[in-house]
Amino acid sequence: MPGRRNPLLTFLFAALILLFTGGPVALALYGSLVPDRILLDPNRSVLSEGPSLESYRYIFTGELPASYRQASANRAMISDAARQVPHSLVNSSIIALSAMLLNMLLGAPAAFIYARHAFPGKKLSFMFLILSPLVPAIALVTPIYMMLEGLGLTGTRIGIILVHTAKALPFTVLILSVFFRKIPQELFEAAVLDHCSRLQAFLRVALPLALPSIGATGLFAFMLSYSEFMFSMVLSGDAATRPVSVVMAALARNTDVSWSLLNTAIFIAIVPTLVLVVLVWRFVVEGLLNGSVKG
Amino acid sequence: MWTTQRFPAIWLLPALLPVALMTIYPIAYALWTSMHSVLLLFPDTPFTGIDNYVRVVKSGYFLDALYNSLLFTAIAAPLVVVFGTLTALFLQRRFFGSRIVRSIVLLPWVLPGAISAVLWIWVFHPSFGVLNGTLRALGAIDGSIPWLTSPKLALISVVVAHIWTQIPFAVVLIMAALSAINSETLEAAAIDCRSPVRRFRYVIFPEIKPMFVVLLIYNALAAFTTYDLVYAMTGGGPGTATTLLSFQIWKESFSMYDFGTGSAVAFIVVAISAVMILAITRALPSDLFEGD
Repeated sequence: MPGRRNPLLTFLFAALILLFTGGPVALALYGSLVPDRILLDPNRSVLSEGPSLESYRYIFTGELPASYRQASANRAMISDAARQVPHSLVNSSIIALSAMLLNMLLGAPAAFIYARHAFPGKKLSFMFLILSPLVPAIALVTPIYMMLEGLGLTGTRIGIILVHTAKALPFTVLILSVFFRKIPQELFEAAVLDHCSRLQAFLRVALPLALPSIGATGLFAFMLSYSEFMFSMVLSGDAATRPVSVVMAALARNTDVSWSLLNTAIFIAIVPTLVLVVLVWRFVVEGLLNGSVKG
Repeated sequence: MWTTQRFPAIWLLPALLPVALMTIYPIAYALWTSMHSVLLLFPDTPFTGIDNYVRVVKSGYFLDALYNSLLFTAIAAPLVVVFGTLTALFLQRRFFGSRIVRSIVLLPWVLPGAISAVLWIWVFHPSFGVLNGTLRALGAIDGSIPWLTSPKLALISVVVAHIWTQIPFAVVLIMAALSAINSETLEAAAIDCRSPVRRFRYVIFPEIKPMFVVLLIYNALAAFTTYDLVYAMTGGGPGTATTLLSFQIWKESFSMYDFGTGSAVAFIVVAISAVMILAITRALPSDLFEGD
């Protein structure tokens, strides 16, 4: 972007954005490192006591923090659900990555056709896609559960993957078709002149040009799946298939559980996704910004 | 633009079939439920026509919940899109640490509503909250501001938390749309048009308008149908100050076990959402829904 820049103003804006988006997460990090007795005591702070990793140790090894091993300690503040966090992260990653890949595979051809072709039934089928997410998911939980139970897919990851894929697909197609429309018409005309078939035009012209956008859209499907709670909860079975949103909600709704443990769980749940987000952001969005895709 | 006489099934069905599987039968089932009396304790499900709908509209919560939902959507959806666009425009710049800021912006995306609520309760909590703590330390207030327990402030607080959860998606999409603008267009605009505001108004905005409209629709829907964040933060209170219509679907179905009435609320939400989508596409016409 051309134009004069005021470094002070830039810094101010950056600080504001960081404070708003990162602030609550920084609080979770802080809370995870400080035991409750210090957190809720206005006269003590992390500065005088030093950070403590006992909540992290409990989640990964099951070793109870020293303060809870005393005879009078309130054992309800420790919940087994916290110990499921690492495994639920694996579950969530499998589910969300599958939903992401399926969305890119199934959504890209449809988006290309909607962006570049006229055919009978186009408006009707597009309207169906756009309007299908209108009905609030909570009203559809019961019938979808019964349907998947009939197919024997409840209590498995496949059922959740299927629902998450279908939930994100309308948005994938809608967003991708906006991107495919952006590709200059001349490129496709050139492709037709070179006797490219529709499939070749899609594979050789549209896909490479829109790859970063497809990645960004896939990221959207990943996030939708990773943070989805209701279907994950209804369709997952025991701890072996439970994704992270369900485990975290169980922790968050348990009002006895210690703040420190809850914040530790939240922070552990954020880290792997953060790594993935940064990677995708580097390759996809930075690529976009550096002008690899220009008309 | 190619024209085909046949419906390109091979290209479309992979996307259409899963969506159809998860919508047509479940929606038909929910519609059937909304016109029958489906109560957990009674095995019979007699046909009741529009009785469930009438009961919802006449109920004590309906007007309050509808008003709150519309207000919530009218504040939250445009703010998310506007803040998202401003942030995206700003993050296009390169400055020291710009990569870190770009990554941090995506953080709120990964958290389910119930967890975001926990983080924001910690911000707004009257006695342990960071916000009141900071204000006290600065000497701005003496006691504590009841962020979540005074009717007006509670709505503002949940709107702030909701915006926080939705900002990353808006930023990513607008940045992607911005970067798809032809660089020659931008260079020409930089020469012809000195004022950045006018440049945005006449050159950049028309280019990102379709994405802008998609985002606005998505956010209007997201705000109008959200309930978990708000419920976890305030439980719909104080009084009915943050009771949302979408929350009533959950309450009727899974708290009262009156699935018929729950589905009826859901279809009232659907009808209002449809009107909202229509209004947005009329107010901001773009080539998005044209069959060209």
